[in-house]
Amino acid sequence: MASCTYTVPDKAASGDNFYGAVICNQAYVDYFWNTYGFSGNKAYWDDGWGWDDCCNTSKPLARAFNGCYALTYSASDYLNDSYSAPILNWGRRYVRENIDDLRCFCGDGTAIARSKSGGLVEVYLGFFYSKDVPGRAETLIHESRHQGGKPHDANFPSGSVFGSGKSGADSSWDYEGAWMYGALYLWWYYAEGARTTSALRERARQRGNLVIDNAFATHPGFSI
Amino acid sequence: MPSKSFDTPFLATPDTLEIRQAEHPFSFRNSKDEKLNALIVDAINRMGGVGDDAEENYRRALNSLTKRGPGVLDVIVAEYENLPEDSYLDRWSLVQLLVELRYPEAVNPLNRIIAARIPAEKLRKSHDMSTVAEEVMIRTTAVEGLVRLSADGVAEARDVLLKYAAHRTFSIRRACVQGLMQTGTDDDKRKLRRLLKERKEEALLKIKQVDVRSVPQPIGGRFVVPAQVKREAPPPDLRATKE
Repeated sequence: MASCTYTVPDKAASGDNFYGAVICNQAYVDYFWNTYGFSGNKAYWDDGWGWDDCCNTSKPLARAFNGCYALTYSASDYLNDSYSAPILNWGRRYVRENIDDLRCFCGDGTAIARSKSGGLVEVYLGFFYSKDVPGRAETLIHESRHQGGKPHDANFPSGSVFGSGKSGADSSWDYEGAWMYGALYLWWYYAEGARTTSALRERARQRGNLVIDNAFATHPGFSI
Repeated sequence: MPSKSFDTPFLATPDTLEIRQAEHPFSFRNSKDEKLNALIVDAINRMGGVGDDAEENYRRALNSLTKRGPGVLDVIVAEYENLPEDSYLDRWSLVQLLVELRYPEAVNPLNRIIAARIPAEKLRKSHDMSTVAEEVMIRTTAVEGLVRLSADGVAEARDVLLKYAAHRTFSIRRACVQGLMQTGTDDDKRKLRRLLKERKEEALLKIKQVDVRSVPQPIGGRFVVPAQVKREAPPPDLRATKE
């Protein structure tokens, strides 16, 4: 067991203030809890993580729910989660079909999230407090892709902000790995994201371009 | 949907977390104009809005701020400079505000933001967290501000874009090259091509900004959940139906 403390930073630009007011409804809480891998994992989301205070966006569970809201409702036609639609539509379906258990831990500061065997995804403090709301949706999709059977298969390219030559990159866009899924989700969020602002969409664009420029061994040759 | 067990009481001890609430991120040390300070805070708050009226509310907040004229830039820039280095999202939000306001006077502060040295990576062992990445996103957003000003005909913005087309960070170079090719004059583009040739970086010209619909899309998921098992999400705004 680890104990951690965290001083909650600004919640404004991250989207947590406003998303928080929306997700505070039992219908959403039930849906997110039962759909995205929280169910069966109450013990992990208790003890300061927000299980008994799930509308409080200073706490991790409400912040995770905010990411789940963005994941679920950012396509204007969110009820269509067909795999023939854009990833903005089916990202939520991919997450719910690939993450069986979503658990929170303090972490050691070296990762936002990790994908473990058997449908288990662990999320750490950085997921809640350094990621904006659409960025949390991106992380859930990224980790779901690992659960879907695609590990990283290359080293980061020279000059990458993620560390030149380190492992953890995808070889190419066509590999259809976790970085491609995350970047493409952000790209669609930028292009077509609904119920959000142009500022958060611009944030998604900047993050998406950063991933495209730095997380593929071979640059895809395009940008957002 | 996978069948799940109930939330069985836990025998081991999971991690515990204690939250401390921070003060407001902005100090407004250099601004005694409380109304202006409130307008800045409101605009930044509205950046993170959600719902069908989120963009409208954000635009309204920006319009209120715009009415105060370019004098607001000094306050925004002072706040940016006073924030702790690791307040990445707060710093980004202030830069985004500079971008949105589109004042030609913002060229100098945007130039300074891009020029500032990027501190060394603090999370060397991580593959998905990077303080350098946060710093780069702040700077590429500043580049976007220059691109918009260049499109508005501000010559100084184009000069700065040309200068940073030789930046040591790839994403910043790439953003400047694309921005100048889209908004620069023929003369700017000639200078840019010459610079890239000298640096043997003409490949940057081949990276195109494209529509998301034109890039390869992934082929769906591993499983298909039978329709009768799928549980539909509630409507996106239940507040509308609340009593």
